[in-house]
Amino acid sequence: MCDVQGKLIGWIDRELPADQTGEVERHVERCEECRRWVATYGQLGEAFDSYCDAVMAAKAPRRVPGWMPVLAGAAVAASVMLLAFLRTRVEPPSIVAPAVASASLPNSVTPPAAEPAPRKATMRRRHAARGVQERGTEVQAMDTAIEIAIPAEAMFPPGAVPNGMNFIAELRIAPDGSVKQVRLRQ
Amino acid sequence: MSDDSVPLALPLLRLAAGSSEVTNLYRELRKPLLRYLICLGITRDEAQDVVQDAFVSLQRHLSSGGDQENIRGWLFRVAHNQARNRQTSYDRRFGEALDGKKDLQANDATPEEVVLEKEKFRRLAAGIQALTNSERECLLLRAGGLRYREIGEVLGIATSTVGDTVERAMTKLAEKCNV
Repeated sequence: MCDVQGKLIGWIDRELPADQTGEVERHVERCEECRRWVATYGQLGEAFDSYCDAVMAAKAPRRVPGWMPVLAGAAVAASVMLLAFLRTRVEPPSIVAPAVASASLPNSVTPPAAEPAPRKATMRRRHAARGVQERGTEVQAMDTAIEIAIPAEAMFPPGAVPNGMNFIAELRIAPDGSVKQVRLRQ
Repeated sequence: MSDDSVPLALPLLRLAAGSSEVTNLYRELRKPLLRYLICLGITRDEAQDVVQDAFVSLQRHLSSGGDQENIRGWLFRVAHNQARNRQTSYDRRFGEALDGKKDLQANDATPEEVVLEKEKFRRLAAGIQALTNSERECLLLRAGGLRYREIGEVLGIATSTVGDTVERAMTKLAEKCNV
């Protein structure tokens, strides 16, 4: 190993005193081994620099694609429109003929007796918990309830129920997501 | 926030102090400081906080008539100390940082170039892991453009020690990388 090799890094970094700088410079000109080391140190320095840049780039925050906000906005708008549509479907029909419908229904879907007789023709949308308070039945144990409006013609043969009749299906959802109980009402 | 943008606190401070020096320094040194701190092993968010705090400290330092010589070394020293104070993950190895995280090459690199580059970085990472903390910090600060005297001030060691440490670290890397 050449004696000057220990000064090569300092010489490359221009950190040597002036008197040593000239000495190393003259030595490198005539020493092939030292020239190789100078090239090696230069490559190592560049590689280290690239590595630092790569580390920094690897930890850079992921940029959100430009179309992502547009897509998110469209998804939100679609969700709002869907919810608005479902809310209007919950409305019971203004004209009902309960006698025919209840006659064709099994016991479990018979409308509760405590239901007030005269119904308003306007929108009547209740949260399930409110219905529970009114009826005071075993439905109080419901942990989750969903109301779905189903057109009667989708469930019964044509002519079995008057046109325009809808039923409300109350679903009781178990903790695992399955349906534990279905209750139909007008 | 983009890499070149200036945080809100600095323009306000600049207006208060009537000087654009800190803002200019911020534009010049923010990236090297961030790179140094991230390579030390702290997270990017932590590094950004440290850089911000360092420049706020610099503003106070200058406003109170502090020494204006070697501001770059002063900033690196403050950032280095803040990183050490807040860092619980300081021992995370710089050499482990790239494993499987990101493609390092430009999009126009050929598959052969990609493989060669990955192999080069793999060997370099192995070499970096073999360095002591002091050797690693000296190389990082050297890569950040600091002179040996400034590195010595940041790390609290003599300038001659910095020269010896850098030379030793480079020799180790050369041996590990087989170059």
